[in-house]
Amino acid sequence: METKHKILVLDDDADWLDTCRDFLAQLPSQPEIRIAASGVRALSMLDAQQFRVLICDLKMPRMDGLQVLSIVRRRFPGLRTVVLTGLQDDQFRSRAYALGVDLFWLKPDMQQNSQMFLDCIESLLGRDDAGGFRDTQAKNLLDVIQMECLAGNSSVLRITSGNSVAKIWFHHGELVDAAAEGADGEAAFRRILKWKSGTFESLSAEPEHVRIITKSVGALLAESEQGIEKTANPGSAEELAQQKLVEHLAAIAVAGAEFLVSIPAKKEIAAKGWGIKNTEQLAGWARHVEKTARRLGEILSAGPLVHIAGQNLERHLLLLPQGDKTYVVGWPAEAISGHLFEQSKNLTQSWDS
Amino acid sequence: MGLLKWFSSPRPTVHKLPSGSFTVDRHGKVMTGTVGADCPPSLLADIAKEILSVFRAARAAQMPLAEVSLDYAGLQISARDMQGGAIIFLSPKNPLATPSSTGAKP
Repeated sequence: METKHKILVLDDDADWLDTCRDFLAQLPSQPEIRIAASGVRALSMLDAQQFRVLICDLKMPRMDGLQVLSIVRRRFPGLRTVVLTGLQDDQFRSRAYALGVDLFWLKPDMQQNSQMFLDCIESLLGRDDAGGFRDTQAKNLLDVIQMECLAGNSSVLRITSGNSVAKIWFHHGELVDAAAEGADGEAAFRRILKWKSGTFESLSAEPEHVRIITKSVGALLAESEQGIEKTANPGSAEELAQQKLVEHLAAIAVAGAEFLVSIPAKKEIAAKGWGIKNTEQLAGWARHVEKTARRLGEILSAGPLVHIAGQNLERHLLLLPQGDKTYVVGWPAEAISGHLFEQSKNLTQSWDS
Repeated sequence: MGLLKWFSSPRPTVHKLPSGSFTVDRHGKVMTGTVGADCPPSLLADIAKEILSVFRAARAAQMPLAEVSLDYAGLQISARDMQGGAIIFLSPKNPLATPSSTGAKP
């Protein structure tokens, strides 16, 4: 039976989303059009359903389009990506293409050359119609493995390097087993890591697969030669920072949070925010509230401060003092408040490690 | 007599955490409450002042909050904004009870 492809349109402008949906309905293949108003929402939709094309705005609050595309590139390498933005700066165009987007369109151009735009999208929908995984680029296996673990995925990664084929089994983000060149378990995993490049394909999970590897991925990577090599020859500071940013944003999205702010105890050190724009404003509030709460705790002899929670119609806020830092985690209003303390603690526990 | 005096000297009292709820207006004046009489009014006024400042600071940071909850090892203070004033709940924790996971509302 023929199944319709799905297109996800991400933009923070609700009117524009409606316009886009109506416009894309003219595509000859009649794909299903879905919309998302935030990066977090889009990522959760991409997790839940298989989409063919993502059409993404760049200028959005909390998580901007480039951040979304960074995550998408790693987590959904088979997804076709199109940037549709009003930003006419060439810098954004080159950054988007550097992230591997298939097309970059300006919103006014799309309206003026509507037929050409539709043809381009139709072409993306039609390409690689046989289905399966698109990826043919050489990628760093470490990134892919770490991403699978970080996302808590259950899947089987099939890796091809030359004539060799290997498989790695993941269950809820844990490395369960590996098989390569006649070996299995840790030995196979170490062999795979020596393949510095290859193509990979994500297969359906095999939850019944027997666990052979008991060590954590971190421990295995640290032991592996490739891990040592990577430590000895780290990428540029900018690359590492970009990789860290992507990992942090992915962790926020996977946890289902909206944003996270890390606030050092010393005022002279600036707070850092992920998925939020007014970091300093929120950090100022958090510092004030924590100071107030500690003062109140002393007056009342109520014991150490554990956390502070706040709520309004739009979101929940959790403020967690942890050592010499305080974290503020924003959660969507629909999140279950009873679990947020534990979830926030889990999210922040190894944030700066 | 001196010996009796020594035996009858007052024992150190255990500080009891306040329990109950009370409402305050926007100026921090306590309006009504169910907090025990052993809790001095000045203490309630201090709590009210600090809680109102938390709500005000949130508004100033353009993130107005409807509810806030301060969770300590021994006490939970929950407050709901009421048009500039607040209703404040003080809930001492029972150390023998199963620890609750988060700022549960009273």
